[in-house]
Amino acid sequence: MKHTLSLLLQNESGALVRVAGLFAARHVNIDALTVAATHDPAVSQLTLVLHGDEGTLEQILRQLRKLVDVLDVSSLSLVGGHDGSRLAATPA
Amino acid sequence: MTITQAAHAAPAIDHHPLAGHAMTGAEAIVQVLADEGAGVLFGYSGGAILPVYDAVFRYNADHALPDGREPMPLIVPANEQGAGFMAAGYARASGKVGVAIVTSGPGATNMVTPIRDSMADSIPLVAICGQVPTTALGSDAFQEAPVSNIMGACAKHVFLVTDPAQLEATLRTAFEIARSGRPGPVVVDVPKNVQNATLHFDGASRLAIPGYRARLRAVESARLDDEACAAFFAALMQAQRPLIYAGGGVVAAEAAAALRAFADAFGLPVATTLMGLGAFDSTAPLALHMLGMHGTAYANYAVEDCDFVFALGARFDDRVAGVPDKFAPRAKFIAQIDIDPAEIGKVKAVDWQHVGPLGPALERLTAWGRARGLQPRLADWHAHVAQLKRRHAMDWDRANPLIQPQAVIAAINRHAQGRAIVSTGVGQHQMWAAQYFDFRAPRQWLTSGSMGTMGFGLPAAIGAQFARPDALVLDIDGDGSIRMNLGELETVTTYGLPIKVVLLNNRCDGMVRQWQKLFFKGRFAATDKTLHTKDFIRAAEADGFAWAKRLERNEELEATIADFLAFEGPAFLEVMIDPDAGVYPMVGPGSSYTQMITGEFIASRDATPVETTEIPPTSMF
Ligand SMILES: Cc1ncc(C[n+]2csc(CCOP(=O)(O)OP(=O)(O)O)c2C)c(N)n1
Repeated sequence: MKHTLSLLLQNESGALVRVAGLFAARHVNIDALTVAATHDPAVSQLTLVLHGDEGTLEQILRQLRKLVDVLDVSSLSLVGGHDGSRLAATPA
Repeated sequence: MTITQAAHAAPAIDHHPLAGHAMTGAEAIVQVLADEGAGVLFGYSGGAILPVYDAVFRYNADHALPDGREPMPLIVPANEQGAGFMAAGYARASGKVGVAIVTSGPGATNMVTPIRDSMADSIPLVAICGQVPTTALGSDAFQEAPVSNIMGACAKHVFLVTDPAQLEATLRTAFEIARSGRPGPVVVDVPKNVQNATLHFDGASRLAIPGYRARLRAVESARLDDEACAAFFAALMQAQRPLIYAGGGVVAAEAAAALRAFADAFGLPVATTLMGLGAFDSTAPLALHMLGMHGTAYANYAVEDCDFVFALGARFDDRVAGVPDKFAPRAKFIAQIDIDPAEIGKVKAVDWQHVGPLGPALERLTAWGRARGLQPRLADWHAHVAQLKRRHAMDWDRANPLIQPQAVIAAINRHAQGRAIVSTGVGQHQMWAAQYFDFRAPRQWLTSGSMGTMGFGLPAAIGAQFARPDALVLDIDGDGSIRMNLGELETVTTYGLPIKVVLLNNRCDGMVRQWQKLFFKGRFAATDKTLHTKDFIRAAEADGFAWAKRLERNEELEATIADFLAFEGPAFLEVMIDPDAGVYPMVGPGSSYTQMITGEFIASRDATPVETTEIPPTSMF
């Protein structure tokens, strides 16, 4: 299944490499990637397309949220569906 | 300067005495290290880090303690990998952030292994690397390495500081990231011109890392509500055979006391992982010692038999749950608490979960259950577990004329009584130490659990002895592992550390040989060391060990060990052990606990024959 992720990233040195590296290290292929400026020059917006099952998606979302420069990440394919898809680890 | 990186001045109330002072970047680094409580630094010098080393020298000269000692000694290893593992040993034994400082290029790349090792075991470190000047970055300059790329893939986080105005805030933030949430190593790469630049110290600034801090706040403030407690106890009260599976997270969270109180209150037996040893007093009646690939047979049988698993700061990794579907097959309910949301349900689906600090969560559950007088009736289960412990007790080949490694550890344990700090290399000796030592408290067991890095033992022991100068620190090592950082033997004597090094010499890479025996029809490719000529005793003597002896006869074991442990200074004991001694029990790769091989000396309860054929190429060593 195809998923589209939207990610807000602090514009730090090496931040994009860390995002790309996380996908590589966890064996998830990035099918498409666009990086755009936002109104805040310190923040970039990334849109990533990947395919994988729900488990892969959930793990990649959780791992992305561990990256220090990641401000927010959400799965567009999940928005409005599943509340685990928004920012922050919510307690059970 | 970008908005998100703007250094935020702190409120005037916590005014730092040096706030507003001009100083160099190097001096600011040393001041932040002092402010963050770095008691001991570990590192090796070089061109790109010289300004920082000079600032450390001057700081120590200017702030000498009344007895003349340096407030922040800089300990020099033989190799930067040693510095990294010393810092890790210091952090593991003390709970504080370990600090290593190295030069650019090869200094930094020699730090990669300890950084990755600390990441894999969630150990808080800050490593400061010198870097070529900003003007030379990217030019393939002398001793330039792409540290932020390399370390970015290995560490919890890495900063490259190109603006001196950010340096102070960056280093302070590095400590915050290293110790918060799930701890880990943070690397700060500092070009030489940034170390030499003049800046205005403010004494309090931090970087804005809003995403990280928001997520951390959410996790750290998470508390169990009544509904969650009720759901937990509803399941626990129905369970007949509940079990706690405690990992390194209990140690990292300083939650051992809360775990003990919970286990005692409701009577749950506790099995710990390799990383969790010491999180629960192994001499306590409810203790099952270690579970997993080389866990005790009784712990693994208890996992097979239990109907409720409570995972605490543990992540069902492949040394515990090699076949996740077959792990705890009779468990009707699995509950999990972890500080890292990504570990919940990662390997095994759970029925109840909580992401938050372990100590408060366990305290809340204990209070909640107590207030309602909840008491699971577990007499049958306790009797069953006691019987497992009796019938399947750890044991070895006691009649063998060759020295058995298990007997050596057991003899040392009788002296140490669960109070020593024990570090290890990686291999059979590591597993025998894990199995046969008692650990009464956390932070006594220092081992490279997830990475399994040979060469960890000696430098980790050095770091631990600096953290706990009065403790008995033992390095239980193997002949292969100790060779990897043998240069650090000299570091032990240079600093006069009373470390006791025990080398269990089987003249081979024993653990690999065990696998070759079991799974490769005894083809001992590249693991036999019988033709190696190293005389470890002379090596230890050459490095200044006044007590260095080789033990070759069983009859001398007790007396030699007593003499060795009684020696006041650094001591080195080489024990020539039976090269055929194996590590049992063993849950082979791809096997379930039912198929555990208990070996000849530990009773197995299962007749299921185990086929030891060639293992599939996908099985991990
Ligand atoms: C740095 C590193 N290289 C290779 C390995 C693979 N390995 C695991 S155990 C082992 C043998 C260890 O031999 P020794 O230290 O003598 O311990 P023994 O098993 O004999 O007790 C090897 C080579 C490793 N864990 N770490």
